[in-house]
Amino acid sequence: MNYLQANLCLLCVTFCWSTEVIIFSCIPDAVSPFAVTSITCLAGGALLFLAFGRRIAAGLKTDRKKQLLRCLWLSAINAAYNTMYQFGLEDFDVSTGAFTLSLTVVALPIILILQRSRVERRTWLSSGIVLIGILCAMAGVMTRSQLPGLSLIAAGCVIRAFYIIKLNQYAREHDPVVLSALICVSGGMVSYLFWMAVQPNTFLGIPWSPVVIATLSIYSFFIVALAITLNTFAQRRATPANATIIYSLEIVFSVFLGAVLPASLIDPVHLTPWMAAGVACVVAGNLIEILDPEKIRNKGKEAVT
Amino acid sequence: MKQWKTLLALFLAYFIVAFPFKVMGVIPGFTDIRPVVLLGPIYAVFFGLPGCWVMALGNLVMDAVSGSLRWSSIPGFAANFLGPWLIYLLCVRRAKKPFSLRTGRDLLKHCWILILSAALQTVLITPAVALLYPEVDAGLFALTVMLNDTAFPIVFGIPLMILLQEELHYQPLRRGE
Repeated sequence: MNYLQANLCLLCVTFCWSTEVIIFSCIPDAVSPFAVTSITCLAGGALLFLAFGRRIAAGLKTDRKKQLLRCLWLSAINAAYNTMYQFGLEDFDVSTGAFTLSLTVVALPIILILQRSRVERRTWLSSGIVLIGILCAMAGVMTRSQLPGLSLIAAGCVIRAFYIIKLNQYAREHDPVVLSALICVSGGMVSYLFWMAVQPNTFLGIPWSPVVIATLSIYSFFIVALAITLNTFAQRRATPANATIIYSLEIVFSVFLGAVLPASLIDPVHLTPWMAAGVACVVAGNLIEILDPEKIRNKGKEAVT
Repeated sequence: MKQWKTLLALFLAYFIVAFPFKVMGVIPGFTDIRPVVLLGPIYAVFFGLPGCWVMALGNLVMDAVSGSLRWSSIPGFAANFLGPWLIYLLCVRRAKKPFSLRTGRDLLKHCWILILSAALQTVLITPAVALLYPEVDAGLFALTVMLNDTAFPIVFGIPLMILLQEELHYQPLRRGE
């Protein structure tokens, strides 16, 4: 996979994640988000074991304990920032809240600098433009009462940036298929613990219906199995900063889907001029990062296999 | 024996992806959101004609089990075979160089082939549906088929093909195979 291909895979992953709101809308409110995460992660992991069982078994012959611990660690970080997002987003409406999640773009270069890693000038520029986009989208709608929620989301973004850096590091050290399968399974187990805490009768508490089963299946295939595997492989070839900037496009896809899809599938987005300006800035920041002529020229034809 | 196993795996993957989406109907009984079409180019390029047959038969079986088997399933069967077959023809049989998605030019060329294949499928199914079932909005039907057959293979199919070829080391078929 070369630079261009890794970016395309990251774009696909981001698109998969942006459809999450549509899929969630098909699940009754009685089903806890922890239940959704737990079931879909376990199903996605089972699917990966079904497809790559032999490869995963071979991959686990070396450094088994290290890989398992690292995946558990990643799942714990993932659960932490998702919980912070969940509580933080209570203070915002859907579209403004989604913009705040892109603050990871700003947190990541700062963490990289603190870790004494080099951050390219192009990345700083992209991050700056995406930050202007976020501020644009929040201009006029942000109130003082939303500050606690924003602080919680900002803290979640710092943790997510740390997660991306760690995933990027682990993906280079281990087989991405093994890592993806273990991330799914351990993520499912961690979420199961939270699920048990909020809904002790777990599986029996879900109002099972063909729609719920179909929705959970779709979530398992696309948002868990496919997206996590593509993401882990792409992370191996991309830098954490590169990946984070592409992830910020999630809001652009969400706004687009909210504008074009019927209200029966997704909450319609009321596109204000400020929000449009924010989306334009996020796209501009991404283009600056992705369309690096030097990288495309040097690595375009190189296939690292 | 190995070929049978491959065919079985292709059918299994088809049904795993196709079944859940049967609940998301756009024109009930006629068409729905069909991400399963993302498998078409993958099956065509990596598995050739057997892959094209799996796409056609899979679609027919899904029509049968979901209660939407009707006369329009015949052009549907033909379109679901010929769409991937066109991709197989242009990416494998008539291709001047081995299949690859490594450069912008390769990607652009592949997108055009996918659009061509989607147009072929739309042209095959829409007139038949319009003729057999005048109550169906032919314009919406054509738009849904066209969008399904271009968006999913481009958005999900291309990254999956990159993953299969570059990282999981699946070999696309070559001219003459």
